[in-house]
Amino acid sequence: MQYQTTEAQEKLRQEVREFAESEIKPLAFQWDQENEFPREIVKALGERGWMGAPFSEEEGGSGLGMIGYSIIVEELSRVDAGVGVIVSAHTSLGSWPIAHFGTPEQKEKYLRPLAQGKHIGAFGLTEEHAGSDASGTETTAVLEGDHYILNGGKIFITNGSQADTYVIFAVTSPEKGNHGISAFIVEAGWEGFTYPTVYNKLGIRSSATAELSFKNVKVPKENLLGKEGEGFKIAMMTLDGGRVGIGSQALGIAQGAYEAALNYSRDRVQFGEPIAVNQGVSFKLADMATEIDSARLLIYRAAEMKDSGQRYTKEAAMAKMFASDVAVKVADEALQIHGGNGFIKGFDVERFYRDAKITQIYEGTNEILRVVIGSQIIGKRKKRAKAVAEVQGKAGSQTGPRKNILFEGSPEEQVDQLVAALKADGYAFDFAVDKDAPISEVERLVSAGQGIGSEENMKLIRDLAEVMGAAVSSSRPVAENLRYLPLDRYVGMSGQKFNGNLYVACGISGAGQHLKGIKQVTTIVAINNDPDAPIFLNADYGIVGDVNVILPLLTKALTTDEPRKEAPDFTKMKKSVPQDPKTRTGVYVCSGCAYEYDPSVGDPDSGIMPGLPFDQLPAGYQCPRCGDPKDGFIPAEQ
Amino acid sequence: MQNVREVVENLYWVGANDHRTHLFENIHPIPEGVSYNSYLLLDEKTVLFDTVDWSVCQQFLDNIEYVLDGRPLDYMIINHMEPDHAACLNEVLLRHPETTVISTEKGFYFMTQFNFQVEKKLQVATGDTFSSGKHNFAFVEIPMVHWPEPMVTLDTTNGVLFSADAFGSFKALDGKLFADEVDWDRDWLEPGRRYYTNIVGKYGPHVQAVLKVAADLPIKVICPLHGLVWRKDLGYILDKYDKWSSYTPEKVGVMISYASMYGHTEEVAQLLASEIVKRGETELSVFDVSNTHKSYLISEAFRLSHLVLACPTYNLGVYPPMKEFIADMQALNLQNRTFGLIENGTWAPSSGALMREMIDEMREMYYVDAEATIVSALNHNTRPDIEAMADAIVESMRKQK
Repeated sequence: MQYQTTEAQEKLRQEVREFAESEIKPLAFQWDQENEFPREIVKALGERGWMGAPFSEEEGGSGLGMIGYSIIVEELSRVDAGVGVIVSAHTSLGSWPIAHFGTPEQKEKYLRPLAQGKHIGAFGLTEEHAGSDASGTETTAVLEGDHYILNGGKIFITNGSQADTYVIFAVTSPEKGNHGISAFIVEAGWEGFTYPTVYNKLGIRSSATAELSFKNVKVPKENLLGKEGEGFKIAMMTLDGGRVGIGSQALGIAQGAYEAALNYSRDRVQFGEPIAVNQGVSFKLADMATEIDSARLLIYRAAEMKDSGQRYTKEAAMAKMFASDVAVKVADEALQIHGGNGFIKGFDVERFYRDAKITQIYEGTNEILRVVIGSQIIGKRKKRAKAVAEVQGKAGSQTGPRKNILFEGSPEEQVDQLVAALKADGYAFDFAVDKDAPISEVERLVSAGQGIGSEENMKLIRDLAEVMGAAVSSSRPVAENLRYLPLDRYVGMSGQKFNGNLYVACGISGAGQHLKGIKQVTTIVAINNDPDAPIFLNADYGIVGDVNVILPLLTKALTTDEPRKEAPDFTKMKKSVPQDPKTRTGVYVCSGCAYEYDPSVGDPDSGIMPGLPFDQLPAGYQCPRCGDPKDGFIPAEQ
Repeated sequence: MQNVREVVENLYWVGANDHRTHLFENIHPIPEGVSYNSYLLLDEKTVLFDTVDWSVCQQFLDNIEYVLDGRPLDYMIINHMEPDHAACLNEVLLRHPETTVISTEKGFYFMTQFNFQVEKKLQVATGDTFSSGKHNFAFVEIPMVHWPEPMVTLDTTNGVLFSADAFGSFKALDGKLFADEVDWDRDWLEPGRRYYTNIVGKYGPHVQAVLKVAADLPIKVICPLHGLVWRKDLGYILDKYDKWSSYTPEKVGVMISYASMYGHTEEVAQLLASEIVKRGETELSVFDVSNTHKSYLISEAFRLSHLVLACPTYNLGVYPPMKEFIADMQALNLQNRTFGLIENGTWAPSSGALMREMIDEMREMYYVDAEATIVSALNHNTRPDIEAMADAIVESMRKQK
């Protein structure tokens, strides 16, 4: 790594600085006040080759490399951070993804005019519900014949409303999360593409920031950038480069603010001498100078790594994070050194102070950048273990393995299915027992939970118990709080344990302590109006419905004209052993190590959510264990 | 001194037998020893097929020098880089610097990893061919049988297949060479099965893929790297491989595996065995997992359709030797079996549910419609549960016949 810039790079810095001082500085305050986009300046930058610095001359760029690009953004931002970000967003975000992922045709049509500065570029990723987390992207692109139909919108888009071409991210396969996002090149002026809002901002007011809206915008198929599903990768790689640009912008702001403070403190005399000689002020200046140099070295390191083709995600994040924190701190201290003057419009430092803040926010907030850096040095967290567990149903049943059959259809149909299932299991409903017999002595219980409602509804429980040959019982709150039944009739860990054959839970949600009381029951039936009630996970049969409707229907279905017999001797029915075999279907085996990709599990370590079939894995998917490519996998079912 | 046998015209077995190694891969007992097979072809060019384990290197070197009889060794084909076959690669090259080594891309990677310096290399892949003069060879890569790098080499001139570890076996040859020189079912089926299931068992899908390719090749003789050479009844061994690699039981039968700390679970296992045989099902075996090496248990689990696991609860978990047995089944990808679970415990019997959790991690595993919990020792309350389990097992077995 080089620690000093080359002569050519310093010559470039000099040229840009002279241009900025003479052409931009006189107008910067006006643009700031008027929220005015400096179209003429952008054109002049393009003519000097500064809108395509990192791109090769064959591509229409000026081949100045990333450090050259960084110097341009820094020097412009040193005078006007708005102009700096126009160049940064245009180059890193609007042009680079086309240079890197574009087809030769796309590069000729779109990159060349961008790199030459004839067009302005922009990049649209952020949405109302998708910022740091791209998986929340809601803009969609649906392929219809030769076109994708783009619908949705983007917010906070730098160069929005001024740019000619936009790299836009939209969901093409909603089920694949981040891997279902694709990138598109969208031209300004296409039908249905509008800018509902151009934002009024705290700082960088000479740059334009707009909301983008897409209503049935027809995007030709050939404007898909990269492959379908590569959008997230493209966005992340693009933002790495963007962070070098924003780091340079922050560096320029800091440099400008620092120079203003240095000059002011030399001029301003108090107590008979310039305040710069005051140790309190000089220490501030020393800190500023040191931190600015540190930021510059971090930025150049990231730029150099990018130019030499190394992985630089971490270094770019460090550079942007550090430089932007330095910009905010330096602008703050610089304004402080200016005293009251710094608080007055017209002093550059007032503008630097407002401009600096955004650098901590865009192209990855500094909090997200710490996440990025952390993940690069610590390794990825085993994310989504919970989601995996949920899909696999590991949450599990507290009453042991159960059939978990939930009936569907009208209430009558559900009741009929339940009766048929119980009869098929060997239950007969031709006898009656004392409904208040001791719980340990009966074979069946009809049990009420708080969902039963008012006390008169207990009649529904007793009626059902009569025809089922069951006694009645309840959950703890029904006995202890509502007092519908005596305390010795509630079932649960602290109450009665029921080891009989059939338990019908009516309006019982299924608290853990209740479930512990029915673990040994052969068959559990749940009737509850809340489909998410835990009782359903712990039951063999379930009906989602109102007890006031279901219980009378069930009672009626079990009512016969025959006189009820005496209860037979209670024999414990055999609980059938549930079968839940894992299947081989859809499983693929790696030929480099025999790792198995199971779509029901996904590959959470590689960010693949459960449910994604093997053939829909991203093209670049590699075995997480040995790194062999996806095409080496064979089906487990031969 | 040399000890070689002719396989077919101009092709010689130059391997060796080993009875002094007690544990194959330092895991699996080999009370009957093992052979490391290497083959040498005398054509216009000379070709060596694989080498042997370090333990028998001297015999092997004597053998190849005797067969070469002063000729140079032109080629050495390394079908499989695992050290029980490739350990002597450098020894051969030291004596024969003229030799060109033929192997796969990953084969050469692994040679480097094992610190072998190979100068003359010929890298081949599936579809490549090679001629030593009169004999022509075709190479087919067989990834994950049971390493990622191996290939098989088919002599298309005479149909001899050099099959790497495929069709290998435990048990030393002890003078024999061909499968038709032994009573294979009596003496070799068990060591062959125990070798396959423990060494290659996990890789069923890849073995199946190879079998499909092999079905279209004109194979007449199979020369594996361990065990006997097949030149008759190839369909017989191919059928065994098809069953093992598709996780299809050889027989409908029940293997009762138990762990017993004080004999009470053993009593249950023995009762269950009697009850099943009384019901007329005699394809049954009983193993104490504490004193049977896991490789034998795995081999039997691949053989039979029904597995009963009877196990005490130990430290609130599955009794460790039983847990290791189930973990081995998981590791070796056993599938498509029907289980009966019996748990025992004195204060918190829970090994049944825990064993089920482990079994449910595997694929295509089923249960007979009975399970039993013994609290310390069998009694008149739980005896009917064991009888019910015998009923359920017999019923399930008859459905699978």
